[in-house]
Amino acid sequence: MPDVWRAMLLWLTLSLAAGSAQAAGLEFSKVTITLGEDDRIYADVQIQYRLTPAVREALDNGVPLTFVTHVQMRRAGAWLWEKDEAEYRIRSVLRHRPLSGLYEVRNLGTEDHQVFATREAAQRYMGRIRDLAIIERSLLDSTQEYLVRLESYLDVEALPLPLRPQAYFSGEWELEAEPWEWQIRP
Amino acid sequence: MANPSLNRRRRTDLFATALLVVLLLASLHMMSGAVQRSEALDAWFMPLLAFTVLGLFALVSLVGWNLWQLLRDYRRQAAGSRLNVRLVLMFATLSLVPVGVVYFYSLQFLARGIDGWFDVQVDSAMEDALSLSKVSLDLHKREKLKLTHNLLVSLEDTSQTALALAIGGLRETSGAFEVALFDRKGKVLALSHRNPDVLTPSPPTAHMIQQIQEGKDFVSLVPLRSGMMVVRVMAIDPGPGQLVMQAIYAVPENLSSLTRRVQDAYESYRERAYLRSSIKFSFGLTLSLVLLLGLFGATWGAFYTSRQLVRPIKQIAEATREIAEGRYDVRVPIPRVRDELAFLVDSFNQMTRRISQARNLAEASRRELAAQHRYLETVLGALSSGVMALDASGLIQTANPAVGTILRLPVSFMEGRALKELAQLDSALTQFVDDVCEAMNADTEEGRVEITLYREDGRQVLLCQRSSLQLQEDEAAGNVLVFDDVTELVRAQRDAAWGEVARRLAHEIKNPLTPIQLSAERLRRKYLPRMEAAESDVLDRATNTIVQQVEALKAMVNEFSDYARPSKMEPRPVQLDALVGEVMDLYAGGEHDVSFSRGAEGATIEADPLRLRQVLHNLVKNALESRSEVKTRVWLRTRLVQRRGRQWVDLEVEDDGAGFDPSMIDQVFEPYVTSKKKGTGLGLAIVKRIVGEHGGSIRAENRSEGGARMVISLPLRAPGKPAQDKKNSAEGEEV
Repeated sequence: MPDVWRAMLLWLTLSLAAGSAQAAGLEFSKVTITLGEDDRIYADVQIQYRLTPAVREALDNGVPLTFVTHVQMRRAGAWLWEKDEAEYRIRSVLRHRPLSGLYEVRNLGTEDHQVFATREAAQRYMGRIRDLAIIERSLLDSTQEYLVRLESYLDVEALPLPLRPQAYFSGEWELEAEPWEWQIRP
Repeated sequence: MANPSLNRRRRTDLFATALLVVLLLASLHMMSGAVQRSEALDAWFMPLLAFTVLGLFALVSLVGWNLWQLLRDYRRQAAGSRLNVRLVLMFATLSLVPVGVVYFYSLQFLARGIDGWFDVQVDSAMEDALSLSKVSLDLHKREKLKLTHNLLVSLEDTSQTALALAIGGLRETSGAFEVALFDRKGKVLALSHRNPDVLTPSPPTAHMIQQIQEGKDFVSLVPLRSGMMVVRVMAIDPGPGQLVMQAIYAVPENLSSLTRRVQDAYESYRERAYLRSSIKFSFGLTLSLVLLLGLFGATWGAFYTSRQLVRPIKQIAEATREIAEGRYDVRVPIPRVRDELAFLVDSFNQMTRRISQARNLAEASRRELAAQHRYLETVLGALSSGVMALDASGLIQTANPAVGTILRLPVSFMEGRALKELAQLDSALTQFVDDVCEAMNADTEEGRVEITLYREDGRQVLLCQRSSLQLQEDEAAGNVLVFDDVTELVRAQRDAAWGEVARRLAHEIKNPLTPIQLSAERLRRKYLPRMEAAESDVLDRATNTIVQQVEALKAMVNEFSDYARPSKMEPRPVQLDALVGEVMDLYAGGEHDVSFSRGAEGATIEADPLRLRQVLHNLVKNALESRSEVKTRVWLRTRLVQRRGRQWVDLEVEDDGAGFDPSMIDQVFEPYVTSKKKGTGLGLAIVKRIVGEHGGSIRAENRSEGGARMVISLPLRAPGKPAQDKKNSAEGEEV
């Protein structure tokens, strides 16, 4: 974690009440945007994954679940066709291994691979994104305001094909977090 | 009836629909490939599904539109709609039944086939294989845990230096690729790794730490990213050293490979078992979409085919209706396929063409006949002679306008009536009816007869020509009467005869008058001075009488000459009121009571003023002399009137005299007709002739309060009309 005392441009924390975490779905429980010593803007994100019974059943029956976290930085008020200043998609696959009884989390971008004895531990690991370097501050216009937007959702298209029609039209499979947005001036 | 834009639209619709069906088939084929686990098409499944559903919706809409049109036509009982409905029902039933049967059995077969993948024995075998793998691995884990405990027990000196020296040997002895020693607080005491570059041990997870803190050993099978499996052990030293040893052992390759394969197979089987209903749904969905495509494609094909078959019949039915309504130029487009329907349409077109030609000929004949009829009507209408057609029974078939004018009855009133009824309508026509009936009864093809009618205003002489008229050989012959009103002609002939008599008489009488007068005056000059007073008185009276009577005879002869003399008109624009005023001034202040009322101030006529003065003198003189014993009052007045579309000026001369004898009032303008003792009977005849020469008319009537009235009507001079040439002045309208 970069030293936030010397170079913090922006520090934001969004902490949501723990009570609301009981409902099924995804949720950004904590998002922190900081300016590091290397003059880069970093994001720390905590996502809570609460799976519906149908999704849990599919997971326990060996169906791999792909979760996508989409991080996007755009000029505030940018037109639809304007290019993003920065954009990342973090794809993580959660699956259950029946032989070992462990839950496996694999990051498709970094090929990072972790196993966990419990599903909750695997979800906690998957929902923790640390020190994600979004962009260098020097690449931004200091007179402009920028919008940081985060989305997280279950990728239905990555499900096995027979499950997809059902997943598209069933609310049980609609797992996505309310988009998180914040406006910053570098 | 052929409409190129409609045909083009039909072709475009057909092409678009066929393209849609082909695209849907391709989409379904690719969906089928995706369902069968084609990696290339896997990502396209949902877009293909969406496209197929939308395409099917379009096809359903198309079929619905066609169905709505068909029902609308059926309700309106449009031509060909019933046949269309029958064909659509027949085609749709023929295609739907087999498709439905195939769908039903395919679905059954599919469900059974998928269910066949999963069997209780296979389930059991898979579970057993997994259990076996687990048991095997558990055994391996227990062995490694025991081995780790043995390694811990073998440590006698627990100082950090001794541990650091011993741990390498322990790792090599145990075959582990990592061995680490921790105290109970988690501090690393010693580490040995197969890779000397690794200086820190693999960090224990929270779960491991929690279990150790609870005083329990930890052993777990950990799959690595490479697919390899390791056994991770954390064992607690039961001795006083309170050491914790973490050892990581590689699972033997053969065991790892076998268990991995068992795990993969089990995972795959379990996933499929879980997705069984979804797989059935996906296959069923694809099959249902194929069925729907087949169903609606076939239905649309039924609509299209039935329309193609019914269209010529419908067009013939519509064309027949148009022909029945009189439009014979209608043609039905011949179908492109030369089959029996095309032959039928071609024959129908030939028939309508011939009907159209025949109708055109009939129409041309009718027009020619109508033109001839109009021509005949125009000619007959323009004739001054009356033309009347009668059938064999004497009914009046047609009569031209001149008949009405001559017989003084409306033509529309006469047509369709018997000739004899005319006598009942007007008794003056009795003679006409009798003479014509007599002529028609005569056994001759044609005849000529002069008929004199006695009307209230005088005699009317008609010259009538009869001809037999037979239009059809098997019909009785009718008659055509052509007659002219020759009253004026007869009168003119009589006037001309009288004029000739007067001219000759004047000539014969006037010649000896002058010698008689000269001789009487000579006798008077020679013998009157020589004779005695008594004798001279006799001679004087006798010669005076001779001279006076000769003068009187001369005056009478001059009047005869005037009447018989050819006219010499010198017309020019004359203001009638001014002219009458000038003439009346001659009578003013005298013994005569003559008054004039101007009612046409400024009205100008084309007239010879000398002749017009003569007319005025004659009329006033005639009025003043109407009573010899009593003084007569005479009134003159003028007024403008509109008559027969033209402006006229009427001059009325009235008196309070004895008036005309009613029995003679018709002949007052004829020569030598007079009621006066001294009159020659030529005054009014001359007046009438002069008025006629001016294009006017004159009539005589008795006043209701007593006395006579003469009314002269003269045409007003047209504005801007130049003065008439002298040579033309003598021509005028006959009175």
